[in-house]
Amino acid sequence: MSPRRHASIDVSGLPDITYGHRNLVWWGTVAFMVIEGTTLAMCAATYLYLRRNFAMLPPARIPVPGVGLATLEVALMLASFLPVALLSRAAGRKDLPACRLWMLAAIAFNLAFVALRWFELADLHVRWDLNAYGSSAWLVLIVHGTLLAAEVGELAVFSLIAWTGRWEEKHFPDASDLAMYWYFMCLAWLPLYAMVFLLPRVM
Amino acid sequence: MRRALLPAAALVALAACQGPQSALDPAGPQALHLFNLGAFLWITASVVFVLVMAALALALTHARRRAAPDVSEAGEGRARRIVTGAVGVTLAILLVFLVVSYLTGRAYAVTPEGGRPLQVSVVGHQWWWEVVYSDSVQSRSLSTANEIHVPVGRTVILKMTSHDVIHSFWVPNLAGKKDLIPGYSTTTWFRADHPGVYRGVCAEFCGYQHALMGLLVIAEPPAQFARWYDAQLADAMPPTDTVASTGKNVFMGAHGCVLCHTVRGTDAGGRVGPDLTHLASRHTLAAATIPNTRGWLGGWVMDPQGIKPGAHMPPNDMRPDELQALLTYLQSLR
Amino acid sequence: MATIENEVVGPVPDDAAALAQLERSWHEPGGLWGWLITVDHKRIGKRYITTAMTFFLLAGLEALAMRVQLARPQNGFLDPDKYNQFFTMHGTTMMFLFAVPVMTAWGLYLVPQMIGTRNLAFPRLNAYGYWVYLIGGLFIYVQFFLNTGTDVGWFAYVPLAGPQFSPGKRVDTWAQMVTFTEIAALIGAVELIVTIFKQRAPGMSLNRMPLYVWSMLVVAFMIVFAMPAVAVASTFLLAMDRLVGTQFFNPAEGGDPLLWQHMFWFFGHPEVYIIFIPGLGFVSSIITTFSRRPVFGYVPMVLSLIATGFIGFGLWVHHMFATPIPQLGQSFFTAASTMISIPSGVQIFCWIATLWLGTPRFRTPLLYALGFIFIFVIGGLTGVMIASVPYDLQVHDTYFIVAHFHYVLIGGGVFPLLGAITYWFPKVTGRMTSERLGKIGFALLFTGVNVTFFPMHFLGLMGMTRRVYTYLPSQGWGGLNLLSTVGAFIIAAGVVVFLVNLVSSLRFGAPAGPDPWGADTLEWALPSPPPPWGHARIPIVQGRAALWSMTPDRPVVTGLDETRREVLVTTVMDADPDNRQESPGPTPVPFLCALATGFLLILLVFTFQAVWIGAIPLGLALFAWAWPRHPEKAWKLERRASP
Repeated sequence: MSPRRHASIDVSGLPDITYGHRNLVWWGTVAFMVIEGTTLAMCAATYLYLRRNFAMLPPARIPVPGVGLATLEVALMLASFLPVALLSRAAGRKDLPACRLWMLAAIAFNLAFVALRWFELADLHVRWDLNAYGSSAWLVLIVHGTLLAAEVGELAVFSLIAWTGRWEEKHFPDASDLAMYWYFMCLAWLPLYAMVFLLPRVM
Repeated sequence: MRRALLPAAALVALAACQGPQSALDPAGPQALHLFNLGAFLWITASVVFVLVMAALALALTHARRRAAPDVSEAGEGRARRIVTGAVGVTLAILLVFLVVSYLTGRAYAVTPEGGRPLQVSVVGHQWWWEVVYSDSVQSRSLSTANEIHVPVGRTVILKMTSHDVIHSFWVPNLAGKKDLIPGYSTTTWFRADHPGVYRGVCAEFCGYQHALMGLLVIAEPPAQFARWYDAQLADAMPPTDTVASTGKNVFMGAHGCVLCHTVRGTDAGGRVGPDLTHLASRHTLAAATIPNTRGWLGGWVMDPQGIKPGAHMPPNDMRPDELQALLTYLQSLR
Repeated sequence: MATIENEVVGPVPDDAAALAQLERSWHEPGGLWGWLITVDHKRIGKRYITTAMTFFLLAGLEALAMRVQLARPQNGFLDPDKYNQFFTMHGTTMMFLFAVPVMTAWGLYLVPQMIGTRNLAFPRLNAYGYWVYLIGGLFIYVQFFLNTGTDVGWFAYVPLAGPQFSPGKRVDTWAQMVTFTEIAALIGAVELIVTIFKQRAPGMSLNRMPLYVWSMLVVAFMIVFAMPAVAVASTFLLAMDRLVGTQFFNPAEGGDPLLWQHMFWFFGHPEVYIIFIPGLGFVSSIITTFSRRPVFGYVPMVLSLIATGFIGFGLWVHHMFATPIPQLGQSFFTAASTMISIPSGVQIFCWIATLWLGTPRFRTPLLYALGFIFIFVIGGLTGVMIASVPYDLQVHDTYFIVAHFHYVLIGGGVFPLLGAITYWFPKVTGRMTSERLGKIGFALLFTGVNVTFFPMHFLGLMGMTRRVYTYLPSQGWGGLNLLSTVGAFIIAAGVVVFLVNLVSSLRFGAPAGPDPWGADTLEWALPSPPPPWGHARIPIVQGRAALWSMTPDRPVVTGLDETRREVLVTTVMDADPDNRQESPGPTPVPFLCALATGFLLILLVFTFQAVWIGAIPLGLALFAWAWPRHPEKAWKLERRASP
């Protein structure tokens, strides 16, 4: 060990609001993403594993899932990246009115996702309790759907905070973390959508 | 004298561990492969253990004489060389282990050539074993329960599945175990090279009476096996005396035996419980749990829950004279 | 950005004033209310550990009952239904309610002190995690005490655990308890990862972190990747098969019982390493202190921990060798299960080298570390034996396996834990334990463990299968079983002595200063017991053995705002100071949130509608969590661009 002499380090000049990986809450958000992502991967693994027990996909006498609403949802998800990216920028420059606006846009998209997800369940053309194919297709849609529903709640609370004058400086990094989470929430859906709605058409 | 003591002690210990349900008493090639593998593993593991403990003891006694901890480069260097060497030796032992394990596994999995294997299917139930001998001639297929007779020296191939929950077929003297899984057909094989009675058990927890879900594998000379097989093929003999006749009426009557049990040659065709056509020919009752004697049979019929709490067979309270007649009938089902 | 290089040479500001400020901002509320609302990781850690140890005792009593039943053939102490409940609760309690929680709890208690920060990254989340754990444990035990305890084994194989063969709510309660404990474990993992990465004291770069902290970091990552598997399996698949008629495990409708096994063991195998790796961390701490030198081979030790964590995810099929999985696939898992013993071997050799190069002091904690080596090596060797597919086909699901895993879990988990409790007791309570009682307890436990479990190797080879409530006299197993039972009571005696030692030392133990053992990690610089704020001044770390390498001028961090709860956030690799973050104070919201969570999850056992019904109180509680409490901090719209 080198014999350099140290005294003290004065940290009073360090900021107390930071963004991204410098911020503890960012790490919490990333942890959520990893845990939820692993969970969704397990659900997908269930779907793929149980596929082997059927001669074909979907099983005989079950129609292919209707792809219209699900594809619309995917398109909306990709479109939503724009307002959410703008939210992230607004949070970066601490622009509260812009944050308010883009959060409202995000809520609108989010509600659309949830509504579409509800109808996509019917588009599967199979009940959850008919067979393992139905059970695992519903599993994928609903577990991911829980993320969508929870996100509505989070956005609602954030918007309430923003509109009632309770917004603090620390909420700006939170809003940019929300954007990061939004990308995850939507991108995680893409392979799941392909697996449930497109794979049966291809197989 | 003292040098002979250790192997002698080991042999005594081994003898104590032998028996009709022991992996240490192989009676067939598969169990023998596994026994030999086990011997190699135990010896190797013991040597490694002694070496590691010796190293620890040496380290501690050496260090106790130290006045101050050694943090020198020289000490670290020596430690580095020793630890690296130890890791190298460990790696070598593990590689040898992998090779031995792989070779044993290969030998174990290969069904031996030559001879026509006996095809038996086993269906696991809570808490008994359904055994079906299949034959290319349908009329020579045979159904029984909890007892598998095999000719000595002939390969037996078992195709297995489960009727309800997961069970596992294990006859330690003959082979390793294989699970019985609903929705799957699993295969295992064994060959008994010595005549004898070998006990097997279910080895996957399957509910209340998992503990007492046993079976017997009875290996006998081929001629004896053939005689047994032919006798088992026959339908049940009709009762020859009045007591047995009365007993048969009890069996077919209000107690509902026919709802669960089959006796070929009669109207009893239930499939829930074991086939009783040749009940009296079996060594044991209740999945190799109790001896097949009149007294035990009576106890089992009247109060199965007393012997195997949780078993699916309900109690059958009946008058003493009914019971005696029934027992006479059942004991006639040879 | 301040760095080590930007030295500010000068006098350290007045400590007494700083302490007074810390007293005020980190003040811990008293009474029952204070107990409910605290977010102090030390208070929560202590109760977490105590709760887990209580479950340990309950599971031990369950084991004693099992051993009494098995002492004689066809014994009548426990009927099959009772026995099945007891062995299920024993395994479930040990694995879900004791082993993982206690290891996590020690991490939550120790790690912030050891890395030189004041609290965990998310104090309220930590409180919530504990309450969720407690509610889950109470839930399953209420059911057990009502004689409707779950009875399908801690592993709950389907179809036995499915709706057809296990009617009623026994299995659903078990599945939901898994959800509770898995939430708590995940929370603990997130806390550890974020705190370790971002709140280490300046100078504690990653390659200067204590080996115990490394072990908790590896474990936390393992929890993150392993828990979702059991969550999906128990909460979504099994619970839904039972509650709403899904067909995941019904072969008649395309379901598959093996899917459960794959998912459960994908979690279940890492689970045992999650229990054992913190034990390795404990052993490193103890051997360091009681040899008076750092563990030999720091880098190989760290790499071994990481390798064990990784390889641990590639072993799970070795629990399934008797199933119809293709042989080629099985061979891969034999190889992985064999190779994982290499990093463990490296560690054992490094510890032996440390002891050899050091000056051992044979105090009780070191005895437990030595006992660990003895017992764990036996378990590890039998582990390599059963990694072999053919050999496993004989001993799988027999008492040989029971012997193996008790040797590794007790050797690798419990012994280091008891050593750790003895070692850190002075820090937690301010009192020393009795050396005499400590040694007597150790001797009883060491003897008892070997007498109980060694005979089981032979019982297994002699044909005795697991999970059996009785056996026949003709099998010849009575003698060894009786011996095992005697051993179990010796263990019980050892546990009693251990407990008596702790309880009496609380009252009568010799007062301990900050560092009674002469140890090297930062927590030993704190008073015993430590104050709520931890280190009054965040120390600057100058070497791997923080206290042994500290220069006499004891450099510290200044400039943290002591008028509010604040922690220093540093960089991941080198722990350079980066920013300061406010740390939440006491609040009842985590407790309320846990109640709401408990309500939802418990109701979900009985009806799927709980999803909507329970969402309401949970939503309200979460709202209360997020709602800002400081109107004076509200962002003024006149402000523009960021600083």
